[in-house]
Amino acid sequence: MVSEFHEAYSNRHQLAEGWKQAGAKIFGYFCNYTPEELIYSAGMIPVRIRGSSENIDLADAYLPTFCCSYMRSALDQALKGGYSYLDGVVFPKTCDMTRALYDIWRRNIKLPYYWFLPVPGKRTDEAVELFTHELRLFKESLEGYSNQEINDESLRQAIRVYNENRTLVAEVYQLGLSDNHPLSGSQVFGILLAGLIMPKEEHNAMLRRLLDSLPAPNTFPGNGTRLLVAGNNFENIELLQTLEECGGEMVIDDLDIGTRYYGSTVDENSEPLQALAERYLRKTPCPCMHPAEPRLERMLELARSYRVRGVILVIQKYCDTHLYERPWIESRLKEAGLPVLSVEHSDTGWASGKFKTMVQAFIEMLE
Amino acid sequence: MESTQDKQIAQTKPGRLAASAALATLNEDYYRDLANAKEEGRPVVWITSMAPIEMVYAFDGIPFLPENYAALCSSRKVAAEFCQAGEARGYSQDLCSYALCTFGSIFENRGPFGDEAPRAPDILLATEGACATHPKWWEAMQRHYDCPLFIVDAVYTVDGETLPAHHKEYFAAQLRELASFMEEHTKRKFDMDRLREVVALSDRASELWDEIDDLRKAIPTPISQIDVFTCLFALVTLKGTKEPVAFYEQLRDEVKERVDNGIGFVPNERFRLIWDLFPIYHNMRLLNYFAEFGAAFVTDFYGNAFSGRLDASDPFGSLAERYLSFFMRSAQWGKAELYRKRVREYHVDGIVFHSNRCCRCFTAEQPDIGNILREELGLPGLMFEANMVDPRGYDDAQVKGRIESFIEMLEARKYPKEAGIK
Repeated sequence: MVSEFHEAYSNRHQLAEGWKQAGAKIFGYFCNYTPEELIYSAGMIPVRIRGSSENIDLADAYLPTFCCSYMRSALDQALKGGYSYLDGVVFPKTCDMTRALYDIWRRNIKLPYYWFLPVPGKRTDEAVELFTHELRLFKESLEGYSNQEINDESLRQAIRVYNENRTLVAEVYQLGLSDNHPLSGSQVFGILLAGLIMPKEEHNAMLRRLLDSLPAPNTFPGNGTRLLVAGNNFENIELLQTLEECGGEMVIDDLDIGTRYYGSTVDENSEPLQALAERYLRKTPCPCMHPAEPRLERMLELARSYRVRGVILVIQKYCDTHLYERPWIESRLKEAGLPVLSVEHSDTGWASGKFKTMVQAFIEMLE
Repeated sequence: MESTQDKQIAQTKPGRLAASAALATLNEDYYRDLANAKEEGRPVVWITSMAPIEMVYAFDGIPFLPENYAALCSSRKVAAEFCQAGEARGYSQDLCSYALCTFGSIFENRGPFGDEAPRAPDILLATEGACATHPKWWEAMQRHYDCPLFIVDAVYTVDGETLPAHHKEYFAAQLRELASFMEEHTKRKFDMDRLREVVALSDRASELWDEIDDLRKAIPTPISQIDVFTCLFALVTLKGTKEPVAFYEQLRDEVKERVDNGIGFVPNERFRLIWDLFPIYHNMRLLNYFAEFGAAFVTDFYGNAFSGRLDASDPFGSLAERYLSFFMRSAQWGKAELYRKRVREYHVDGIVFHSNRCCRCFTAEQPDIGNILREELGLPGLMFEANMVDPRGYDDAQVKGRIESFIEMLEARKYPKEAGIK
């Protein structure tokens, strides 16, 4: 049953086409700084725009090749019509690429709705105030588009559904605290991916079923060498499978689609827009935010509580904000006694002999 | 008519700008001030481009732009080594070469003249007004120097033209906070009247820069792109002091005199081009290669970003507007409109895109801007890859070959008879 998650992710375009035919409106979004709750409360299905392992054919006429493979690949899929089921796309301004891609998508991919969401780069009270204002503008725009009022109640309902999702995923993560955990890192990764592309209440239902049906603890053999996987922009499960083949295992992550996305719930007792703004600006930050320390501190905390032996740092090639932080992150992790295997990737080659050899050597060194 | 003009230009080929001498003095004075800053008790503030430099001068500080410094390293042919040294510390070779080169220099404590790296900053001031990578670069330097860092959060809005009031207020509030921060770390009092003076001087420098840019519309265009990039130093680094005002007045008069006398930079100007965007500091001469074919750059989308009008009666408000709404922050439609306007007003025959491999922020949209200009105006474009600071991997022969083909194509379009096309 756990395989259903990754299968759903693999079939995400077909699934979305199906919802579309059933009358749903589907909104694509980039980046974990999009407050999906607003889209959800307008009665639409938010789906994360992802890259793919397919060849990039058309995007090069619109985007230099020295841009990240994620954005090139997403644009390429859209140019080939792979995202024609979308009713709209939301681009939060987090990195320079999301800003540029807003323009390029808007001109070249004809969709009914586009929104550019300004996101502050700080987490101060003033930044939260500005972001609350921006969320109000976004909300009004969504109401105009969907012809549906987003009132406090619908927004609170969306927040509850999303918080439940965060809590359920947190339960999945907690399984990894044990040395005899019932789910492998690659299975957990499938769960994380599925949550990006399906309605949250469906993901919640699947998660509840999964958590209810897990076999009792202590029925599992020991798992692989405990690893924290940090980085961004990969969706190819082969990375996790290779770690496992080589005797390692992701037990916790610092990923844009992992703890940085599923962590931190929204305060259900505050004014909803303000609560959303606070949650998004004050969650574990991605490197587009200032200051950077909270992410490192969170990573060290996770590494301690999950008793990891080493860190796999997989950063998207050409992802500037991550790459600026990398030397510092690496040295601070090493100071904390955590060896680091650092890789710049284009989300390919995870099953290659070259990568396997690197991972094997790294894991042997940890043991 | 064309041939009459050709003759006239051929007779009056301009020499070196007289203003260059004044620029050399400005340069020397600036670096002397920088060297003496500690002794004179002036704070040295390392700033990103598009940070409010006026705040530094209002505190009688000396701004230092590592971007400028990396450009200098590049022209002194030490950038490749410095970039390599940056990579050796774990920084990716794909990062902004301004940053990578600076990292190499400061980590190895080496300067461009066989000397040491610049003196450590007293304060670091960054904004993401230009790109999201600036604050990351400054954070890395903060860890290295362990000195105070202030980041002015210049949130990107959907376009630069319609700036919402709440964004202006957020930025202005940060400037007030910056004033307190500077007071704390410089032990100097913030003086609003002093800021007004600085803002007025900055505005005047920009006004003059715009006048000079406007004079480039003349046929033939009066000044070379190399001169423009070189003279930009005063606007980038000294804006807010008296010096650039006097300098640009002199430069404006000299350029105007050329225009009045029909003197063009390129003898026998045949093609008028736009340069987009970054200079190639290790090979500025490439710009002159175009001149060999009678092609002149008549405007560019780099220098003008440093010009921004201000209002001394509302320093914080106008600084907020200026640093939040310059054209590089425009959405594509705003940029396209600006490019269209330039093509029209500057009588442009083609556009040259330097696809700067290390800068995603300002190169990611170049191909599609090129698409728009081709589709809507039929404007030919040349795009070639290089790295603004780091010469490694640059293939001069290949780039020149591309330029030659581009010129041939322009020739066939503009002068079909001479190109032998009926």
